[in-house]
Amino acid sequence: MSTTFLPCGDYHQGYAEDHAWFQTKFIKGKMIALFLVLFVFIPISYWGSIFQSAFNIDNYWFSLIIRYISVFGADEYWISVFNMVGYTILGALGVQLLIGYCGQLTLGHGAFIAVGAYTSTLLILEFPWPEFMITLGLAYPVSIFIAGIMAGLFSVLFGLPSARVKGFYLILTTMAAQFILVDFVITQYVSQIGGRGQAFSLPPGTIKIGPWLIDNNYKVYFFMLILVILSCIIISNLVRTRVGRAWVAIRDNDISAEVMGINVIKYKLLAFFVAGFIGGITGSFWISNLAAISPEHFPWFLSLWLVGVILIGGVGSIHGAIFGSLFMVVIMELLQLAVIPLADTYPKLLMDFLFIKEATFGLAICGFLIFEPNGMAYRWWQIKNYFNLWPFSY
Amino acid sequence: MRQEDKKGALITEISDDQTIPKLFLEKAGVYGDRVSMREKEFGVWRPITWQKYLENVKYISLGLISLGLKPGDKVSMIGDNRPEGLWAEMAALCAGGVGVWLFQDCLIEEVKYILDHSDTKFLFGEGQEEVDKALSIIDECPKLEKIIWDDPKGMRNYHQDCLISLKKVQQLGRELEKNNPGLFEENIVAAKGSDVALLFYTSGTTSLPKGALLSHNNMLTMGQHLMTVDPCKETDDYVSYLPFAWIGEQMMSISCGLQIGYTLNFPESPETAKENIREIGPHVMFAPPRMYEEMTRSVQVKYLDATWIKRKFYELATKIGYHVANLKFDKKPVPFYWNFLEWLALITVQKKLKDHLGLSRVRNAYTGGAAMGPDHFRFFHALGVNLKQIYGQTEVAGISVVHRSGDIKFDTVGHPIPGTEIKITEDGEIITRSSSVFLGYYKNPEATAEALQDGWLYSDDKGFIDDDGHLVVFDRTKDVFTLRDGRPFSPQYLETRLKFSPYVKDAWVVGDNLDYVTAILCIDYSVVGKWADENKLNYTSYTELSQKPEVYDLVGKQIQTANQDLPDTAQVAKFVNLYKEFDADDDELTRTRKLRRAFVEKRYKEILDALYSDVDSVHIDTTIKYEDGREAHIKTDLHIQKVKS
Repeated sequence: MSTTFLPCGDYHQGYAEDHAWFQTKFIKGKMIALFLVLFVFIPISYWGSIFQSAFNIDNYWFSLIIRYISVFGADEYWISVFNMVGYTILGALGVQLLIGYCGQLTLGHGAFIAVGAYTSTLLILEFPWPEFMITLGLAYPVSIFIAGIMAGLFSVLFGLPSARVKGFYLILTTMAAQFILVDFVITQYVSQIGGRGQAFSLPPGTIKIGPWLIDNNYKVYFFMLILVILSCIIISNLVRTRVGRAWVAIRDNDISAEVMGINVIKYKLLAFFVAGFIGGITGSFWISNLAAISPEHFPWFLSLWLVGVILIGGVGSIHGAIFGSLFMVVIMELLQLAVIPLADTYPKLLMDFLFIKEATFGLAICGFLIFEPNGMAYRWWQIKNYFNLWPFSY
Repeated sequence: MRQEDKKGALITEISDDQTIPKLFLEKAGVYGDRVSMREKEFGVWRPITWQKYLENVKYISLGLISLGLKPGDKVSMIGDNRPEGLWAEMAALCAGGVGVWLFQDCLIEEVKYILDHSDTKFLFGEGQEEVDKALSIIDECPKLEKIIWDDPKGMRNYHQDCLISLKKVQQLGRELEKNNPGLFEENIVAAKGSDVALLFYTSGTTSLPKGALLSHNNMLTMGQHLMTVDPCKETDDYVSYLPFAWIGEQMMSISCGLQIGYTLNFPESPETAKENIREIGPHVMFAPPRMYEEMTRSVQVKYLDATWIKRKFYELATKIGYHVANLKFDKKPVPFYWNFLEWLALITVQKKLKDHLGLSRVRNAYTGGAAMGPDHFRFFHALGVNLKQIYGQTEVAGISVVHRSGDIKFDTVGHPIPGTEIKITEDGEIITRSSSVFLGYYKNPEATAEALQDGWLYSDDKGFIDDDGHLVVFDRTKDVFTLRDGRPFSPQYLETRLKFSPYVKDAWVVGDNLDYVTAILCIDYSVVGKWADENKLNYTSYTELSQKPEVYDLVGKQIQTANQDLPDTAQVAKFVNLYKEFDADDDELTRTRKLRRAFVEKRYKEILDALYSDVDSVHIDTTIKYEDGREAHIKTDLHIQKVKS
């Protein structure tokens, strides 16, 4: 059964149609609108400058028009905020898969993001790539993939205890990943490679996909959009296949899942691998946004933050990961913007902003657990239903 | 010969030679890979092309011949609406046989009577349930030779010689085809339009069912005449879910469906029919009033449960809708601002509402088979649904009178369709003459002589033709009341008014030649039950709920509203809530859910007596039969309440 609300007269003659992505004209319209907003309207000032330089226009009026149009899009600052949102979405998707779909509590996802980021960085900086691969710009794309695999394998390694333990105990073993991998292995050993000390700096021009040099926020933004879309497609397809159904069965009740003939350990570890893989990709994406990486980018708080994001967004839903990320990142930025004018009168606010941020995070989680325990995705579903069932309630 | 109608569409005159199978063969050849029907199975609408349809019919038909079917033999079908049922019917017709449909929920005696009376040779049943029914009576129906089933569920341990599966029949057909190629086509060519195609048992509100013989020509002209009034397109969808044993369904699925070539859609199961209709969103609909009554009731109930904002939107849109609909009924021009408001109502509420009801694509919705109340009628027109009243009977192969678009009056049934003449006799009886009038009753010359006189069909319905030339059907002749002031009155009219209330499922009004009018009502268990839950009333059964004083007050209020615009003498003075719902299995209703007045009058004599004497309760001590044969003893006191005026 199709889970989409189909209007009257819209029916399916086969299973392919029944499981199609965008089933109704209305949904297709919505998706095209979303695509336009994401790819055209938000980065409109980027398109303006591209347009200007491509046609070599040096006209006062034209520049003025471009500037006025650009007001409607996002400026450099907001693009960087959106990049942060995208990063959080990618991270949260992995956590969502583990917690929301497979029911494996994790508080160490930041570690796998770190593994991905470091694998990718090391591959770019230290690996003796053949010359043609460098010139073709293949080093970074290949490193992304390898970073994914590496992070996946580490994730499986730290997921092994899940064969025996559940719940709190699993949280502890995943937290161990954070402390062992980031605080011990990466800080003490990996960071020392090449004798650079704490941080790896990424020289400009190293982050290149084919001929496409990712050297400004707008390009990171497009790269982020593509990765987020791809991950969403992969995960939503995965969760409706046999694998995803097995995960959901394990989440709902691992004993009955086993009785049904699901190899619980295999599927749990597979979930850890896929979550780690996405974590690795997240990490290696994030280096495109950084000038240098250091272990401080991947604190334990990042892992906690990601769990908070899916709690607020809604556990067990891809929408949830996206809504949660948008909410958390944008709220924090708005908070920052709100604090700045007050800083003249209360300078302490700016100095202790980190604490305000963490307090808000805690407050948001408390608030959501009390008032909206199913998260924003559930609210979204309810809003859609409200209009789908219009003018009645059922 | 071809002629053109007003809209310019070409109509082929149906020659005496044309038969349903010939048309079928022709259409299957033309359409080939187009979808002829869909069946919802395992969650998707599985399409069946015309080619597949033809193949299936062909081999079933040949299979029947190799089992010994001779032209003129009767083949009965029983079961839910499904492609196999239609294939079987078409196959029987292709082999020169005569199709007989039985209602799926017929009791065993009715099945036996019809099988025996019609001299059925082969019976198509759907699955185990029908096979069990047939096996239990096969000894009493000596002419019945084979029982054919198609659903293998539960059939593993049935090895009787008289049983054969549909697959097996088709297998036999394939073998016959090898030895005798072209036999199928020869059979089709041999048939004539005047041959009997179907034997239809009328529901009969008074006596045993009578079998009406309908020829190919009857069926085809019927469909053609309806389609000249309201043309359908071959891309249209139609949902077939009402019993094939009802002439209306035959008319839409065979007479019209075959000529137009629209797609028939079969629901997953009778229980999901409502949902499935919503999915398909048919372009044309024909259903008895109870279907529309149910829809109205569900809207009314959902409205009561909606939130404040939604309720206000609905109320406003309905007000606008009613106003515009009334203007249209009165044939007054609609001012532009009302048109604008109507458009607003359409996009904010009605569009979505029609979507929920599955009516968003419907071009013409017909209601027929029983009277429909003006309130229901107005309700649908206020929604913007082009609902039309139809008048017809089995004996004219479907319908004879229908509303025209834009010329709808809710107390009439419209104008006769092309090729049909309607007259009113001196006694006020409606008589019909057309090419669709049936051949006669099977094995019942007296009834035939009574119904068919000089080519006119006597309907036994009272009616008149109004100033605009619309036919008004008053009621069945024997049902018309005489009120205490001597005026005639139609109980059906009052009953349909009462049924507009969501709380009332069935109503029975009495008062012929009596001092005052009374009503016996069946409450709607689910709606009243919900109401009782909300009002913290405890109840354990239908019987108990129906006798609650609060429920009496609730129903009393509904009667008061219905009483409002009636003359004093026709107003309901007393009513009683019945302890059970009317049921076709108890013979209280016909299979098409018409009240069998003579029967209920006999059955509930005590209640009637009490209603017309000076008591305020009546003691009931009776047994009721459930569908599965269990019996329950009921002992209760029914309260009689006077309606406040």
